[in-house]
Amino acid sequence: MTYFRVNEKCNGCLACVENCPAAALDFADQNDGRTLKHNMTKCARCGQCWRVCPQAAIEFQHLLVGQWDNVITLDLIHCRVCGEPLYSPAYRQEVESKLNPSGEALCPKHRQTDAASKLLHPGQARAKLKSGDQ
Amino acid sequence: MIVGDLKPLEEIVSAIKDYKQVLVLGCGSCVTVCLSGGEREAEQLSRELAQMRHYQGPLPKFEVGSILRQCEKDLVLEYQNIPAGTDAVLSLACGAGVQTLADAYEPLPVIPALNTTFLGASDKPGTWTEKCKGCGDCILIHTGGICPIARCAKSLFNGPCGGSKGGYCEVGYGIPCAWTQIVARLKKMDKLHCYEEIRTTKNWKPGGAGGLRRRVRTGLGDGSNKNQTNNS
Repeated sequence: MTYFRVNEKCNGCLACVENCPAAALDFADQNDGRTLKHNMTKCARCGQCWRVCPQAAIEFQHLLVGQWDNVITLDLIHCRVCGEPLYSPAYRQEVESKLNPSGEALCPKHRQTDAASKLLHPGQARAKLKSGDQ
Repeated sequence: MIVGDLKPLEEIVSAIKDYKQVLVLGCGSCVTVCLSGGEREAEQLSRELAQMRHYQGPLPKFEVGSILRQCEKDLVLEYQNIPAGTDAVLSLACGAGVQTLADAYEPLPVIPALNTTFLGASDKPGTWTEKCKGCGDCILIHTGGICPIARCAKSLFNGPCGGSKGGYCEVGYGIPCAWTQIVARLKKMDKLHCYEEIRTTKNWKPGGAGGLRRRVRTGLGDGSNKNQTNNS
């Protein structure tokens, strides 16, 4: 999917390619086809292509408000009490290697509740927390 | 890149308090990178400005937006929506962006939320330092890539002053002496002889002393551009 999009008015004149100050546009003529090419990493999103296009074919809004791309999906550890998403197992391992083992997976709120319970009722805190009694 | 800093909140409140509906508009370029005027900062500022405690009169209504570059008038006019009822725009762009919006949306008032501070670069995450004064007659080739105009407190041209102590500038704040850095760099480059070269006087006209600076490129626009500048 490209963020540089043209509508049906594009006639392949290459004005955009010739005027792109970032050399982010190129084309390839092969057999019976002309392909317009765009390199997002080079694109300065300056709008010059959009300005010079004699056909008003460039839909620049897609370069201004794009969509989100999924980059990676990791497993997730949740708070044992409320189920709030916390962190990935790899992140937990990394933190635990630098700090004292944090023990249970708890969100900030329930970590506070857990700590308070342990202070008040050292023996019962764990049992209460497991039963979901906040 | 252009670095900017948010104005004091009281100053911003004072500027917007008489409007009914304000569009808080971030800019997606330089000021986004230096964490002062991007979409995130526009949202934060809007939330803060929406606190009743800042106003004695009625609370203005706030809308938030952001566009890639506020300094591109035609792009702004084409793609930035101004919500109905907006009676002022609070811009988080640099001075160039604010003025471009003011031209584009005239007579809608465009209020600057930032002070545009300098042309700089990030030496390390979270720190930006002034590097360039935009003087239009670059001498970095002679000074080991370190600009004495921007980085020496006195913009000295021929070496450090008597206030250079232990490699630091007398103005304090831990600012390195630019000329100490220049000499050290030239030594490393085996180009210390550059330091002794007699150069012609610097031309300050391109630095703004010749009036409004303008750069015209031929071959773009409506064909009326001619190779003319007033600063070379």
